[in-house]
Amino acid sequence: MTEAFAPSSRPPGRLRWFGRVLMAFARRELTLFSRYRVGAVFRMLSFGFAVVSLYFFARFIGAAPNQHLDAYGGDYLAFGIVGLLAVELQQVGVSSLSYRIRMAQMLGSFEAELATPAPAWMVIGAAPVYEFGSAALRSAGYLVAGSWILGISFARAQPLSVALVVPVVLLAFISLGLLTAATTMLSRRSNPVAAVLGAASFFLSGVLYPVSVLPGWLQGVSRLLPLTHALEALRRALLTGASPAAMAPSLVALAAFAVVLTPVGLALFAHALRRARIDGSLVHH
Amino acid sequence: MIRALALEKKFRPPGGLRELLRGRLWRDPVPALTGVTFSVAAGEIVCVMGPTGAGKTTLLRILAGLLLPSAGRAEVAGLDVAEGGASLRQDVSLVVGDERSFHGQLTGRENLRYFGALFGLSAAEARSRADMLLERVDLAEFGTRRFAEYSRGMKQRLAIARGLLGRARVLLLDEPTLGLDPRAARELRSFLRHEVVKAAGRTALVGSNDPAEVRALGDRVLYLDRGVLRGESAPDGVEAHWA
Repeated sequence: MTEAFAPSSRPPGRLRWFGRVLMAFARRELTLFSRYRVGAVFRMLSFGFAVVSLYFFARFIGAAPNQHLDAYGGDYLAFGIVGLLAVELQQVGVSSLSYRIRMAQMLGSFEAELATPAPAWMVIGAAPVYEFGSAALRSAGYLVAGSWILGISFARAQPLSVALVVPVVLLAFISLGLLTAATTMLSRRSNPVAAVLGAASFFLSGVLYPVSVLPGWLQGVSRLLPLTHALEALRRALLTGASPAAMAPSLVALAAFAVVLTPVGLALFAHALRRARIDGSLVHH
Repeated sequence: MIRALALEKKFRPPGGLRELLRGRLWRDPVPALTGVTFSVAAGEIVCVMGPTGAGKTTLLRILAGLLLPSAGRAEVAGLDVAEGGASLRQDVSLVVGDERSFHGQLTGRENLRYFGALFGLSAAEARSRADMLLERVDLAEFGTRRFAEYSRGMKQRLAIARGLLGRARVLLLDEPTLGLDPRAARELRSFLRHEVVKAAGRTALVGSNDPAEVRALGDRVLYLDRGVLRGESAPDGVEAHWA
């Protein structure tokens, strides 16, 4: 037997294996990032423009006291920036998995990846983990830059509350991502849910204004969206130093979203994967 | 090593406006394979020959665990392909002709290293195995060139290298020399038969509609036409059957 072509050894344990897949995925994405620098620069520029316009808007709004902002520390700029960052995190959660699947289907790499010994959850799971990791780093960078350049104060942030809120928020967004990824696979179209959810959340969840300015019945509707609770919890933890106990209603709501939506998303996703093995749509354009 | 028993596959294409107006979500089922029964012994190279649309690719994808059969049963290395699972995919490698499943902006080496992780290799193992395989498929000097800049033959060779990253005992090759010039095709066939399959003790099932490929690669030939197996022959009998 020619040694070079002899079958190689067995793969490692699942956790170590996923670590290797994740590292390889990150290496691949960073390599591609370095080859698509212009796109990355434009993405950062667009966020920069949003923050700058928010800065001037905040100067305008900040000229008069605003009782709706009292519960969030009174600084509109800080309020708005946390809103934009949370929207970006939700967008990553809702879109990254379905985008990865759709692109891989169109490029033809999805089937090749699923044909390797790696379980499907490893092949698919590396994208959201990597995307969330990089989005969290980006967000932290934006907050630090906002603090240094625009003078936003996070002096009242409660580290324990932040450490508790962030994973629960991410879990809730990931559960939404599972649902949208399953619908992408079943519909064989670009994510139809993400656009609707993004627009509805931006309008109803209080990204640029507190939910308290909405009519009562719309406030009720806004509570059905995870982003509403994520924004409430993140702002109170970052801007007012609220304790975990004080944020319990938001945390419980987010945990409920994760607990209910995750199994539904997983089941729907498993069904979508099986459906793709029946109708041959692992590769589709 | 490979066994198929009364294997059937029907596709249900999604309905268009006409079907929806009739209250149906799907069009009529399209049969791709009907009652396909055959076996391949360990160490054997069997070619499945048939025209475009005969069902060769469908058969290979079912055996790779990527498609579920509608009826019947198939086993590869003693594992039920309908169950799929990591064990099956460790034993089976599917290499597809007209390869486009690599990332065009990554080099050949970077692509292999990425897939190496999916095969469970550490970064160091993936690097050394990628280098070794690039050497063996004659791509060592092109390892740092982007996949998008590869010629068709180079893409095929890279796909074969990827198929060998793991410990596959069974290779499923779908038109492995599709689109190659005669000399490159001849060299690749010789390399596949002698070094990749026979010398390493592997088993292979090859889908092809090229008599020259079948003669050069196969120990035995099965003839598939519109999803039905129509017989078999030795490789040198291919002209008579194919005509």
